[in-house]
Amino acid sequence: MDIFLQQLINGLTVGSIYALIALGYTMVYGILRLINFAHGDLAILGAFIGLTVITGLAGSGGAPANWIVIVAFVLAVLVVAIAGVLLEFTAYRPLRNAHRLSAVVSALGASMFIQNGIMLIWSPQTLTFPEGIMPQTTYNFGSVVISATQIFIVTVSLLLMLALYLYVNKTRFGTAIRAAAIDQDAARLMGINVNKVITSVFILGPALGAIGGLFIGVYYRQAVFDMGWIYGLNAFIAAIIGGIGNIPGAMIGGLLLGLFSSLASGYISSTWQQAIVFGLLILILMVRPTGILGERVADKV
Amino acid sequence: MIKLRLALATAALSLSMAGVAVADSVTFGVQAPITGQYANEGQGIEKAVKLIAKQLNEAGGLLGKDVKVVSCDDEGKATQAALCGRDLANQEVFAVIGSYTSGATAASQPVLDRANILQTSDGTAEQLTQKGYKLFFRNAPPNSAEAEFTGEYLVNAKEYKRIAIIKDHSSFAKGLGEATAAAVEKQGGNIVFDGFITAGSQDYRSILTKIKSENPDIIYFSGYYSDGGLIRSQQASLNIDADFVGGDANQNVKFAEIAGGAAEGSVIINVPAPANLPYPEAKQFLQDYQDAYGESPPSIFTLTNTDGMRAIVKAVQETESFDPEKVAAYLHELRDFPGFTGPLGFDENGERLGSAFQAFEVQADGTYKTVYPQQ
Repeated sequence: MDIFLQQLINGLTVGSIYALIALGYTMVYGILRLINFAHGDLAILGAFIGLTVITGLAGSGGAPANWIVIVAFVLAVLVVAIAGVLLEFTAYRPLRNAHRLSAVVSALGASMFIQNGIMLIWSPQTLTFPEGIMPQTTYNFGSVVISATQIFIVTVSLLLMLALYLYVNKTRFGTAIRAAAIDQDAARLMGINVNKVITSVFILGPALGAIGGLFIGVYYRQAVFDMGWIYGLNAFIAAIIGGIGNIPGAMIGGLLLGLFSSLASGYISSTWQQAIVFGLLILILMVRPTGILGERVADKV
Repeated sequence: MIKLRLALATAALSLSMAGVAVADSVTFGVQAPITGQYANEGQGIEKAVKLIAKQLNEAGGLLGKDVKVVSCDDEGKATQAALCGRDLANQEVFAVIGSYTSGATAASQPVLDRANILQTSDGTAEQLTQKGYKLFFRNAPPNSAEAEFTGEYLVNAKEYKRIAIIKDHSSFAKGLGEATAAAVEKQGGNIVFDGFITAGSQDYRSILTKIKSENPDIIYFSGYYSDGGLIRSQQASLNIDADFVGGDANQNVKFAEIAGGAAEGSVIINVPAPANLPYPEAKQFLQDYQDAYGESPPSIFTLTNTDGMRAIVKAVQETESFDPEKVAAYLHELRDFPGFTGPLGFDENGERLGSAFQAFEVQADGTYKTVYPQQ
């Protein structure tokens, strides 16, 4: 039982990071029917910005002060949000009326551009985060260990998801976002500035992704320029499991994916972890082709 | 008329001399992961080879020829490594130093062999020297030698009762892990867990939680430092009270950096670390490296590869020939060459002879202390 609980906690932590990143995929898809393949790299860009701020302000010795960590998160969010808007403006907006596949190619190109940009700026090596960014406290319940970092990551992720849910469902601008997702032309006729909605999605998604990316950095204390691809892929799967285009779906998909990966490698085989996860994806899509919470059948690409 | 002829002759002579000058160089190729997960190691190998070439040129070159170095980045990947082999062959290199990983080395071996090019690598997977390539020389001791030592250390020296073994899927780590498991069983040790991680996936808490339920007193990891450091730090965060022993690829300055506070007390099995090398030639080279690049070599493999290159240079000087077959014949007979990493020789398969393993404990300040065999 202790082992099971421990695996749940491991899975929940990773799952909430996947969920944060998955939100960016799902929001962009909801509005533009576009898979933003560069999203994983944007998230990892957040980790690198955070790392630079932390090592720059705290120096190499000793644990960084709390205010430095907060500044790191704020700057990572700001820079990545700006990068997201620039990305939309340069890579996607000119192709808004082009064939859907052109935009996919543009997204893949943007992903490579950001990944290689990170490599050129921060070097191809594995960079390490200093220790003590998060409190080192751990709590023991029997033989189950929960670290303060894990509690922090799960709590902040859940709060952010709740805030996003309320923003999209309870505010005026959130209503505009939902309207644009259902029918852009009708939304435009109703006086909604659809371009503004799209820009806002490219601010919100990357901002949440940046926090997810920086969580990866502080949790594993490691950042490599090319890890955006694998985290992006997992978050993308999470978005599909939950029903791409659906915001609560991405949250549920992320948490489920994290839990399932953790249980699969803990109880079956870590060698087969990826195969099992993809098997789960296929199963869910067979039973519910639109994902767990997906409502409408997605247009065929 | 005579003047004109003389002028023509002089011109022809100077032309032909210019021709000689162009051909008067010999090129060494570096095939290494200069970017990617093992970039640290690849860059170290490239820097060391360039330094040796510079030192040779300052001493008048190799048999009077200017020594040049060209590099190819294989990113530690087999597909890229095969392309590197072809690229270096097209540039007509005389010998190739590298690669760092066994997988990338295995991919370029057939290409270089067909092109009649000497190759020396630290790749420790057994099969590298079992394919009959006459121009290939392994400059680090093979997995089997390390596995024997590890089995001896775990079972007889430390008397561990419950041993957990973790490998990754690379040809190196899989080979070393399996050989170590076999050696442990041969010594009568008790293995309670034997499994794989996916290198680079960062989260090893699930497999470690599973291992925790087996109550091991030691976790042995046969893979590379970037994963080893994470395993050690995640082991600590899960309060798993077991010693950590890592295979030779964990011996990298980054291991302690990634493992953080948990690094202290972990044990790594390898030939002596660069800074602990007792040989005066090695100390001098480390100093030269420090002066040239302002840093120490990332690991012992920088130096084993350097030794591979130096052995080839020695063979060229002794045979006074750039014929790969003659050089290889000399190397197969080489014994007790004073390498930076200890006395060095090669058997008829190109397998490294000489050099002894040690177990090092990582200290609080990141340095290593030899704990076995006791000195």
